[in-house]
Amino acid sequence: MLLFAAQLVNGLSLGSLYALFGIGFGLVFATLGVLNAAHGAYASAAALAAYFLIDRFGTPFAVAGLAGVAVGGVLAVVVDQIGFQPLRNRRSGMLAALITSIAFWIILDSLFGVATDQQSLAFPASSYPQAMLALGPLKVPTMQLVNFALLIAVATGVHLLIEATRLGAAMRAVGCNDVAAALGGVNARMIVLVKAFLAGATSGLAGVLAGIATSNVSASLGEGLLLKGFAAVVVGGFDDVRGTALAGLLLGVVEVFVAQYLSTSFRDGFTYLILLVFLVVRPRGLFGRDSVVRA
Amino acid sequence: MRALADLWAAYGVTLVFGAVNAVFALSAYAVLAVGVLSFATVVFAGIGGFLSAQLAGAFGWPFLAILPFAALAGALAAAAVAGAFLRLESHWMALASLALVLIGRVVALNAPALTGGVNGLIVPLRATPWELAGLLGLCALAFWRLDGSAYGLAARAVREDAAVASTMGVSPYRLRFAATLISGAVGGLGGAALAFTLQFLSPDTYFIGLAFTMIASTVLGGAFHWSGPIAGAFVFTALPAAMQAVVPQFEDVAKGLVLLAIMIYLPRGLIDPRRAALRRARAHG
Amino acid sequence: MAGAVRGGFLLAFAVATGLGAAEAAPAPGEYSVGFITETTGPLAAAGVSFYRGAQLAVEEINQASYVGAGVTLKLAAKESGSDAARAVQALTQLGADRSVLAATCCILSPVAAALKPVTLNAKLPLVIHGATLPGLPNPPYVTSIVGLPGPQEVKMAQALAEAWKPKSVVYFVNADNEGFQNRFKAARKVMEAAGAKTADVISILSSDTDFTAGATQAIAVNPDLVMVWTTQTPAAGIIAALRAREYAGHISASDAISPAPVYKKIGAALAGTPFPILFSPEISKTPEAQAFVAGFAKKFGEAPDTYCAEGYTAIYFIAQGLKALDGAPTREALADALGKATSIEHNVYGGVPMNNGQAEVSNSIIAQWTRDGKVVRWEKP
Repeated sequence: MLLFAAQLVNGLSLGSLYALFGIGFGLVFATLGVLNAAHGAYASAAALAAYFLIDRFGTPFAVAGLAGVAVGGVLAVVVDQIGFQPLRNRRSGMLAALITSIAFWIILDSLFGVATDQQSLAFPASSYPQAMLALGPLKVPTMQLVNFALLIAVATGVHLLIEATRLGAAMRAVGCNDVAAALGGVNARMIVLVKAFLAGATSGLAGVLAGIATSNVSASLGEGLLLKGFAAVVVGGFDDVRGTALAGLLLGVVEVFVAQYLSTSFRDGFTYLILLVFLVVRPRGLFGRDSVVRA
Repeated sequence: MRALADLWAAYGVTLVFGAVNAVFALSAYAVLAVGVLSFATVVFAGIGGFLSAQLAGAFGWPFLAILPFAALAGALAAAAVAGAFLRLESHWMALASLALVLIGRVVALNAPALTGGVNGLIVPLRATPWELAGLLGLCALAFWRLDGSAYGLAARAVREDAAVASTMGVSPYRLRFAATLISGAVGGLGGAALAFTLQFLSPDTYFIGLAFTMIASTVLGGAFHWSGPIAGAFVFTALPAAMQAVVPQFEDVAKGLVLLAIMIYLPRGLIDPRRAALRRARAHG
Repeated sequence: MAGAVRGGFLLAFAVATGLGAAEAAPAPGEYSVGFITETTGPLAAAGVSFYRGAQLAVEEINQASYVGAGVTLKLAAKESGSDAARAVQALTQLGADRSVLAATCCILSPVAAALKPVTLNAKLPLVIHGATLPGLPNPPYVTSIVGLPGPQEVKMAQALAEAWKPKSVVYFVNADNEGFQNRFKAARKVMEAAGAKTADVISILSSDTDFTAGATQAIAVNPDLVMVWTTQTPAAGIIAALRAREYAGHISASDAISPAPVYKKIGAALAGTPFPILFSPEISKTPEAQAFVAGFAKKFGEAPDTYCAEGYTAIYFIAQGLKALDGAPTREALADALGKATSIEHNVYGGVPMNNGQAEVSNSIIAQWTRDGKVVRWEKP
């Protein structure tokens, strides 16, 4: 019973990271339409930036983490403007966006490799809370609770932003049809930048937290999150942040339980199978809205 | 003459891999030409490749005897994939095919009887450059004929605007199904070609790297004419070697930059019939 | 009479030294040794180490004229990024370059296996410096200086079984790396024979990053010992996760955790975890090893790890083969010399016997990290 609870907490913590990444990913998924292969690099960049600040300047973790998140956001904006904006101007479509994102993925991964001397790094143990907290008979690492709490906070924040503010309404309008939105008085260009920053920042936060959870700060950090995060987006429904959050948590829990109770060899395969089933049976995800495209 | 022989000795193998990648690119093009983005070619190639390796290893069949079976296996797999995914909207279809590739690796790792599992599979047969050139030539010929046929016309119509095409009596679904079958057959052939070139298969052989190579080759060369993927594949295969000769420390970055440059300046690829036609029209007009 | 005897003696002596001076020696010149580097891609960290070891070896060999008077070596590096197709192209290009007499490659077994037919076709001697798929060596053209998995793992498992007498063991192993699969099987066999039950086998993939769930799974069955037979990043992650979750039992690992950056990453959590290793800069005390460590520190500013030693050994092995040739060296003659070698003369391991083109492990050490970041011999506490 205790094992079940411990693994449940592990799953929720892991799922929080997937969900956080997925939220960021979902924000641009709607506007670009397909997998942004470079999105994982934003997470890696955030973690690397935070690491360098801690390692070289000894900045306290919270500050370094925030700086890392900001770096993730800025990188997303840069990639968007250099790579995707020209495509948007030309209305090039999904294939061009995919190849461009892959090109950026290669470039960024290479640069990270050079920056880290091809090594995998880790945040020094002293920089974040290491202790295990006792929840009744169960002992839980502090950071797992932090991950979960941050997910709830960020998901709620982003959801409220999108649903209840003018900025959010503008973002939804631009996502639907940017020309019409511009006609309606929205500065579409600005909105795209804000969306990109937000996407990069949330994924960056996932990256920093994942760097702690896995003791691994390197280019592979982003890659590990990318596929699972995009699965969260698909399973949850890409236009609803709550859906992504719930789906991310669900996927984390399922992954851990499959490894524990079925077989460790099928852990990843099961996640992809769920993804496949959803794509075929219910592509709009658990909570997505049915969208109709008029001919 | 000696210089030519030396050049072939050093770079002939790059041409060989270019030819194999060209077959993969054609397989990706087969479905792109009807407006479907799919990574499933990798799975078709994997099935064709492992089957070919087993036929060569366990039964000692020769290259020409194995090829039809590789194509058939690929086509059968494609039929299953088409049946399951084709009715999906294009974004979801692309993602579903990607998920299939990921699952494929898990299967390859966990089925040692079929794929050798983590230890991989030694392939005792080697395809000569002439055999591979012949295979590529055959595929190119088939695409050329298809392009000029009613199928080609219907494919272009469906790609341009599926709704309009269906009002003209072309069933987009039937056409895409056929395109997927072709993609499967060609993919299976490509898988066999790769198996007989590398001579060693592992679960990573038919995985994301290959998916990326074939899509990038197709886009680079141009997805609007069947010669585009072939040209793109050769260029893309030669790229790492070229980059290593020029900027060894940053060759990966250089590769990404080249791709980016092509996407920005030549988004329709190297071979674009429309651009050529426009240029001709401007020259005459 | 005595004068004639002495004269005869002197004559014989002169003839002998004269013959000695006309002993086999390769013709002076600069010869290329191909190196398929893996300094980008998933194994870049190790790849850089292998290449650096080779670079130091070439420098030393040239300075000391190890191969012969007037003979220098040059490395011809071609990057493969650990990708089989690129490695095949790289080796083919090296094969086409007639100044390249031999090549060395490969950390991954699938890549090595793909290169085997290429090298046999080009009749280019290939020395494998990292991959451990059994059956790869095919003398004379394909040889391997890497000991196969088995002996070191068995030695450590026996020592641990004796010292700790574990009743149950959990194993972590890479599902997608056959080298580690073989190491795990060798260790498990010893443990089970010693009466330690296999409580669980947890498979991971090289690209996995999160191990908290796996650590929880392992701890739940209350093992006396957790053996971690995985590649570097997962091994570090698993050990960190186990200790973070306050696992108080024993852990053992492989030489994948021996390089210094792993300690820099994980720190004190690594302490007390034994691992089998053939070379360690702090423990290996033979004169060649000490000289290697000093030379490497001078050239690169840090201590060499076990992969540097393997790259270093591969080049010295090739140089040894060249040394035995006479006149202008050819690939065929070099392959012959390499295939026939019964040991690697200049090595940092205290002796490397070669049997039919395959190196054999003779002196493995069981090492461990200390809390303050030194590698020392493991002793039962």
